[in-house]
Amino acid sequence: MPTRRHFLQQAARGGAGLLLAPLAGLESCAPGTSRSHIRGSLHGANHATGHLLRNAAALPAPTATRTVEMLIVGGGVSGLAARRELERLGVPPQEILLVELDEQVGGNSRAGHNLVSAYPWGAHYLPVPDARNHALLAFLREADVITGTDAASGLPIYNEYYLCHDPEERLLLQGHWQSGLVPELGVPTPEKAQIARFFQLVEEMRRAVGSDGRDAFRIPVQEASHDARYRELDTLTFAQYLRHQGFTSPHLLWYLDYCCRDDYGATPAQVSAWAGLHYFAARKGQAHNATGADVLTWPQGNGFLVEQLRRQAASPIQPDTVAYALHATPTGLAADCYHVPTRQTTRVQARQVILSTPLFITERLLAGLPASAQRALPCHRAPWVVVNLTVEYLPQAPGQPLSWDNVLYGCASVGYVHANHQSLSLNADSPHVITWYLPLPAADPVAARRRAYQTSYDEWVRQALQELETAHPGITALVQRADVWVWGHGMVAPTPGFVSGPARQQAAQPWRNQLFLAHTDLSGISIFEEGFYQGLRAAYEAAAARHLTYFS
Amino acid sequence: MDKVPVRRKRQPAPEPAAAPTDYRSALLLGSVFVIATCGLIYELIAGTLASYLLGDSVMQFSTIIGAYLFSMGIGSWLSRYLGGSLLRWFIRLEILVGLVGGFSAPLLFVLFEYAVSFRLILYALVGLTGVLVGLEIPLLMRILENRFEFKDLVSRVFTFDYIGALLASLVFPLVLVPQLGLIRTSLLCGALNVVVAGVALYRFPETRPFRRGLTGALVAALVALGVGFGYAERIQTYTEGMAFQDQVIYSKSTTYQRLVLTKNQRELRLFLNGNLQFSSLDEYRYHEALVHPAMQALPRARQVLVLGGGDGLAVRELLKYPQLQHIRLVDLDAGMTRLFQRNQMLRALNQSSLLHPKVEVINGDAYQWVRQDTTRYQCIVVDFPDPGNYSIGKLYSAAFYRELEKRLAPGGWVVVQSTSPYVARRSFWCVAHTLQAAGFTTLPYHCYVPSFGEWGFVLAGRNPHWRPDAGPLPAGLRYVTPATIRDMRFFPPDMSEIPTDINQLNNQALVRYFEDDWGPYVH
Repeated sequence: MPTRRHFLQQAARGGAGLLLAPLAGLESCAPGTSRSHIRGSLHGANHATGHLLRNAAALPAPTATRTVEMLIVGGGVSGLAARRELERLGVPPQEILLVELDEQVGGNSRAGHNLVSAYPWGAHYLPVPDARNHALLAFLREADVITGTDAASGLPIYNEYYLCHDPEERLLLQGHWQSGLVPELGVPTPEKAQIARFFQLVEEMRRAVGSDGRDAFRIPVQEASHDARYRELDTLTFAQYLRHQGFTSPHLLWYLDYCCRDDYGATPAQVSAWAGLHYFAARKGQAHNATGADVLTWPQGNGFLVEQLRRQAASPIQPDTVAYALHATPTGLAADCYHVPTRQTTRVQARQVILSTPLFITERLLAGLPASAQRALPCHRAPWVVVNLTVEYLPQAPGQPLSWDNVLYGCASVGYVHANHQSLSLNADSPHVITWYLPLPAADPVAARRRAYQTSYDEWVRQALQELETAHPGITALVQRADVWVWGHGMVAPTPGFVSGPARQQAAQPWRNQLFLAHTDLSGISIFEEGFYQGLRAAYEAAAARHLTYFS
Repeated sequence: MDKVPVRRKRQPAPEPAAAPTDYRSALLLGSVFVIATCGLIYELIAGTLASYLLGDSVMQFSTIIGAYLFSMGIGSWLSRYLGGSLLRWFIRLEILVGLVGGFSAPLLFVLFEYAVSFRLILYALVGLTGVLVGLEIPLLMRILENRFEFKDLVSRVFTFDYIGALLASLVFPLVLVPQLGLIRTSLLCGALNVVVAGVALYRFPETRPFRRGLTGALVAALVALGVGFGYAERIQTYTEGMAFQDQVIYSKSTTYQRLVLTKNQRELRLFLNGNLQFSSLDEYRYHEALVHPAMQALPRARQVLVLGGGDGLAVRELLKYPQLQHIRLVDLDAGMTRLFQRNQMLRALNQSSLLHPKVEVINGDAYQWVRQDTTRYQCIVVDFPDPGNYSIGKLYSAAFYRELEKRLAPGGWVVVQSTSPYVARRSFWCVAHTLQAAGFTTLPYHCYVPSFGEWGFVLAGRNPHWRPDAGPLPAGLRYVTPATIRDMRFFPPDMSEIPTDINQLNNQALVRYFEDDWGPYVH
């Protein structure tokens, strides 16, 4: 039975482990194997810190109090967007405090770096956004991602250094790298006809407008049509829908399976048809110097955007801090915040609290509040594993040269991105960092998560290299370092009914003008735009409520 | 060390105690034949290398043969000072000839890049080989002097000597060079000399007292030559000799590219990753056309930036403008600029431009450099390799040209080498349109470079005012005159402007055009 003391020690190790990882405690691969020379770090141990919440009673009682106007719990994209937006709405920075569980902000958009390159640990790109998404465009302008507006068309001009350079995507099919990810090479004609029909369908969906005058598919999902014709698509799985529509081409079904795993960490049999189509039909980006199919990317992935969000606001951020209980007080709310390095709990009293935490955390935080504050929105979320490999060079198979996104047909992973892709250097022979993504979709995510946490560093590296050896023979010997991150909770999967059901809307409702919620879980689609939107929405609601309480 | 008992345990070898005279003489005369063959081959190697590396084969062969024969004379004269066991001297000499002669070709190839004065090294080596070879025949004659009458001795030794020479002169061009290449031929002859030493060492009983000591040297020499033979591939790959029309005189893989220099009687050619970079015969056309249309329009230019162009040939043209105070050359490849700074033959070509006090050579990524640079230049000369891959394609993008625009002083000009408007018409006009998209006014032009074909350039500036006769052209140009400049601006219908996409980082339109345009010529 874990004692309280043992439990805290474990938690401290979990938090400090991340900080110390580059210095000490390097993991290594199994001796006597071809990969025995490989060393690196294993992250995701912060589940130890996160899991403090499961046994919140064991955490020390508050020994200090602090008062702020607004407390934001969670420093992912939505929390940082809320923090930035509150300041833009006129809340003085000193009245806001953001607490973050990890030692750095970013959530699923975190990044790492080594001597070779910065690299992503999770989300790594932003599609050229819908030009109607004015708030997002304003942020991108401030971040110098948008450098101007074309006078004639009124469309934004994107920074060429951030638009994904060509060649963008390639697929290893039958031992040859083809251009683009939709299988073409050696695909039989009847299958090609099905693929064309699918994209025609997607194009119709992209243009479709509901009876309420809104787009059938739109980012953020909140702006999409409520027309029952399209919402019905949320009642069946994508796999069922594809069957009904007569899509049987193995190459097409592989591609759609890949897309669902890539965006949702789930299979077409798990996500709704609406979500499966949304992946394609909601991309409506417009730009003067790019198309909706283009993406923005950086060596550190969306870690770049996180850093911009952080920099565009001044209020304090307190990392390594676990908010573990919320209480109602006469003047608002109070959150007990345990600071991992000092092992001290502070009670932070706030007039308003924005919870930008995933719903499984939110549920625990709300446990101490009246029933009216509780929300029931079960989320399916699969674990992910991300392996960052630093390689001397990459032996290539024939076909399109090394691209930004490199996918292997028929593999368990969703391929790898090349962190040095946006480099302007001619030195192609210098070492590279590639980021390999492995979603672990399973019917039972809890068991999959447990298995993932129990799997060794060596085993993850072995899996990654076993797959990559098929595309890059000899890569194992060229690996200089392998760093692994196990994301136990990954991201929300838009299962049937999740997006269109009433529970999602209810879960996002504020409570007593004191408690506001912001997270991609409340969108059902875990992408940067949704996180940004959720942060803004919560900030508007909070600022409006604040206005109400001050002036009425 | 307990050596003696070990020796005693050995079975006494049956000695050819009284080797018959004719057997002994036959061996020595056979040696004459071998050493004569090898001796002439060393001479031929030196002559061939000198004409490959330094050009002018009549002059080179003549002086090499002269120097070699003269050195042999010195060797013959020196032979009188050798006394004691002549056989021992002979064996030592053969090992030495094997090493010096054997390694002469690989040594010359390797030193060609680094040597400040290659000619000096070449003649020193020829001289040393000559002296050693010159010692051989007199020494052998002295060894044989008591076995034959003088008239027989002279007759036999010189018969074998001259037959060996005939064999060498036939085998060298017909078999050895085509089959083995120069380096391996040289090493093989070295090994033959060592084998002669070995035969002498083990066939003659009187060598027994010094057999042990010389065996070590002999084995070491054979191993060294063998290792050299194994590495000959690296020094000069045989396949490369096949891939290039002319003799490969230098090849090296730097961090970034493979440099190959070839030479025939008339010209020197540089290939980067197999692509012809210039021919010494007509490169003046290319480099005059690259530099002078821009520079003649800038009589008050002070600062010039050259991107790429690590051969220093564009810089050579720029140095013809005395008003320039500073020329900064940024080339990625230190291996390339070093070669063109040090090698005598290449320095003759670029007139030591990369060592000129006004010239600053920076080895770095052009894109990175331009983005962090703060200097403004009146002229920027862009001489990158053709856009054959995605990394280089970025250096032809609108984004890159916008960075160049920031580095350009008011009234300044950028000139970009833009591949062939005839072979790669879309690529050429894509470069021009991309420069326009970056805000430049463009003046495309082209010239005929025999080794390249029709070649194109784009002159780009902020304002449209440019004249082909704005300032005086430097004296002594062989191609560019005001009239040439006017002519170069004219595009006949088969090269005239066609619509293209703009080359952007996110579409790399140019790399795709370039692949399509050149594809039929390459495959």
